[in-house]
Amino acid sequence: MNSMRVDNHPVFGSLEKRKNITIYFDDQPYAAYEGDTIASALLASGVRTLRCHEDKGTPRGIYCNIGHCFECRVRVHGQNTVRACLTPVENKMRIESGILATASFKGGKL
Amino acid sequence: MGDNETVICRCEEITLKEIKETIERYQCSAREVKLRTRAGMGPCGGRTCRCMIDRLVEQLGGPSISNEISLSYRPPVRPVSFGVLGGDVK
Repeated sequence: MNSMRVDNHPVFGSLEKRKNITIYFDDQPYAAYEGDTIASALLASGVRTLRCHEDKGTPRGIYCNIGHCFECRVRVHGQNTVRACLTPVENKMRIESGILATASFKGGKL
Repeated sequence: MGDNETVICRCEEITLKEIKETIERYQCSAREVKLRTRAGMGPCGGRTCRCMIDRLVEQLGGPSISNEISLSYRPPVRPVSFGVLGGDVK
């Protein structure tokens, strides 16, 4: 059930067959196709919140989708600040939505 | 949308209210607003809020915009981890 995916588009026609792979986002398995980016694969499965604001905790997700704004940054295989909107998915890819900072950045209080 | 819900700097989530208060209280330049509120220091490098902060400073009586007072473009253009800078991460 890929409710969000446009399977047949009036202009581009229908989606050609692609290899089905699974990715793990915060230890939850999600179906995806090869050639998807992390952001589009998760969006197709209905996941919009890719991370929470490190200081204020508000949910954040795709914004510019062209790699400028870094709102979609996630952790992939332990590497931080990976842009979900630009990174293609691989089979059995482990993605985490990042950590919340314990102390606030502002005010310099430790 | 009240001043407190209007987010000017999306990366650091600084609201219009905070920025207006900072400008009115300290009568400061755009750079000082950035230093006091962190607006413009986020990963997007000020792309979203730089112009808004400059205009707000202009409207609320801060020093008029000239090139050395307004928010300059600072490297790195994209966020880079120290690991990458240090060369031990691809």
